[in-house]
Amino acid sequence: MVINVKNLVKRYGDLIALDHFNLAVQEGEVLGLLGPNGSGKTTAINCILSLLKYDKGTIDIFDQPMSPDAYHLKRDIGIVMQNVAVFDELTVYENIDYFCGLYISDKQTRKKLVAEAIDFVGLNDFKKFYPKKLSGGLLRRLNIACGIAHKPKLIILDEPTVAVDPQSRNNILEGIQKLNQQGATIIYTSHYMEEVEQIASRIAIMDKGKIIAMGTNEELKKMIKSGEHINLELLNPEDLDLAGISALPHIISAELRDHQLVIKSERGKNNLIPILDTLKAEQIAIGKIYSEPPTLNDVFLEITGKELRD
Amino acid sequence: MFLFNYRYRLKCIFKDRQLMFWTFLFPILLAILFNLAFSNLSSTDNFVKVNVAVVQNQELDQNPAFTQAINGADDLFIVEYTTLVDADTLLKDNQIDGYIVFDPDLSLVVNQSGLKQTIIRGFLDDFEQSSATITTIITQNPTALDSGILAGISSRTEYLKAVSASQSNPDPVVNYFYALIAMTCLYGGFLGVKEVVAIQADLSAVGARINLAPTNKLTVFLSSMLAATTVQLLELLILLSFLVGVLGISFGNQLGYIALTCIVGSLTGVTFGACIGSIIKNNEGLKIGVLIGSTMTMSFLAGMMSADIKYIVMTKAPILSYLNPISLITDSFYTLYYYNTHTQFYTDILLLCGFILLFSAITYFVIRRQKYASL
Repeated sequence: MVINVKNLVKRYGDLIALDHFNLAVQEGEVLGLLGPNGSGKTTAINCILSLLKYDKGTIDIFDQPMSPDAYHLKRDIGIVMQNVAVFDELTVYENIDYFCGLYISDKQTRKKLVAEAIDFVGLNDFKKFYPKKLSGGLLRRLNIACGIAHKPKLIILDEPTVAVDPQSRNNILEGIQKLNQQGATIIYTSHYMEEVEQIASRIAIMDKGKIIAMGTNEELKKMIKSGEHINLELLNPEDLDLAGISALPHIISAELRDHQLVIKSERGKNNLIPILDTLKAEQIAIGKIYSEPPTLNDVFLEITGKELRD
Repeated sequence: MFLFNYRYRLKCIFKDRQLMFWTFLFPILLAILFNLAFSNLSSTDNFVKVNVAVVQNQELDQNPAFTQAINGADDLFIVEYTTLVDADTLLKDNQIDGYIVFDPDLSLVVNQSGLKQTIIRGFLDDFEQSSATITTIITQNPTALDSGILAGISSRTEYLKAVSASQSNPDPVVNYFYALIAMTCLYGGFLGVKEVVAIQADLSAVGARINLAPTNKLTVFLSSMLAATTVQLLELLILLSFLVGVLGISFGNQLGYIALTCIVGSLTGVTFGACIGSIIKNNEGLKIGVLIGSTMTMSFLAGMMSADIKYIVMTKAPILSYLNPISLITDSFYTLYYYNTHTQFYTDILLLCGFILLFSAITYFVIRRQKYASL
């Protein structure tokens, strides 16, 4: 087991930031830790890394207890922090060399690792640039390079794509998948569900300091009643009998938003046919029709009663 | 790790333009300003000879002793012999400080009162007193002249001997520059703040990253502090060279002691900053604000803005001088420059070492923890 956290409790005065938080991460997986801002993701990470004191619980990394002076464990951990953590006075190369040097003392080995890290994040053309001269996306890539240059076995990325443009975000996500393919176990925290869905092999959803659901993307979606979202564009919605639609079998909810009829139905086949039949009987003309599977937001909404996004 | 971190911290410090301005350029700019402002201050204390006119008339011709006496006082007066009309004109034009007329008694004409006029008056009184004494002796006891009494009247015996307590001439200006150097030492606090912020996980993101690395935090911190002290000493060395070589400020010739003062002063500054940086948990701006505020207050009390303040503090509240590192550093330079003994110097250095220990202990107490309550 790469990480094994049991019954972790962290309080800030009266506020419980982590409420008997449990987490087990297997070697080679990408675990997405998903939750709204303030759900306790970063606090959990900081406790796992022995940066933060906690009130109760145990934390094992690589099957050994984690502590601030467990240097043999820290050597195999890489962290990419939410805030960009680089020195403004050092160039891209120097920053990566410095942070890699905190782990690797041999100069030749370090030189090779730094070159690989620069290559990995695609900053070859910016080696002599100072951080202030880099765009937001490039700066995030530098932040990642500083965290992974020493080739750690466990990489923790805490919201690495905050305030990053879509193109850079895709580059970062592809890079994370590459790291995983190279053998690293990854914990990825985010409040962007699309990102987590894209890269995580397993997802843990956090709220109020505890994990409320955990599993693969498909497993999580199966946990909820909602199996499908059906959207129909109605050309004459004023004639619609909404109660009639809602009363159909397998329909969880139906609501009319302007010309859009939005229906949530249970998982199952042929949900659409009775709806179309009903609309036809009511002589309602239909424009576009599309159906989509539930999202992680639906999972979160159904479990907690609130939206995942802020 | 120690040298690796030391090298990178030196780079970081040298490339921090704002930091280099405050700790390096600002003191040099202040020194130039001080030099411009105080360049005439010393010269105002120098004695300037008194311009005096003596009106030529018959009475003067009949008193060659007076002419001899005033000509003999050439270290006091620049004498011009002229007519009464010209003397009046010269006085009106302020080309002389006063003129002397025998008419038949000695009289002094001035258009204002002041030090120079008092000097002329004093000379005349002295001359009249001596003349009266000699006249009395001649009329009442002429035989006394044979025993050489005249020589006794015209010469004075000093019963007091002036011994200088210092090895250099007093110069009020140097204290400003000593206070400036002391302020520069304490400005090393900027470097101390920077190093503490860079290593504390609850103060900076890079600090968190360093705390997560498999390195001994104390080793990293000590090498960072050494880098800060190195830079501070280099800056001080350049400032001292500038003061001595370009501005001509004298520091005496006790180089070893001056170097010791610089090293102890730099350590005081850097550890002071580290202490401020570690105990103030808010943003870096507040730390810098507190650092500048406290340094300027201490500089003020040490006499950097007005030499009188240092004197007032020393006489009214001497404890403040002993609790003020800038005052102690200034005092160290001052005692080296003026005094032949090192008693006060060692007292100052020991007190500064006490401050270094205190600041270091507080800093260590705060940063030694490895886990934080909040980030």
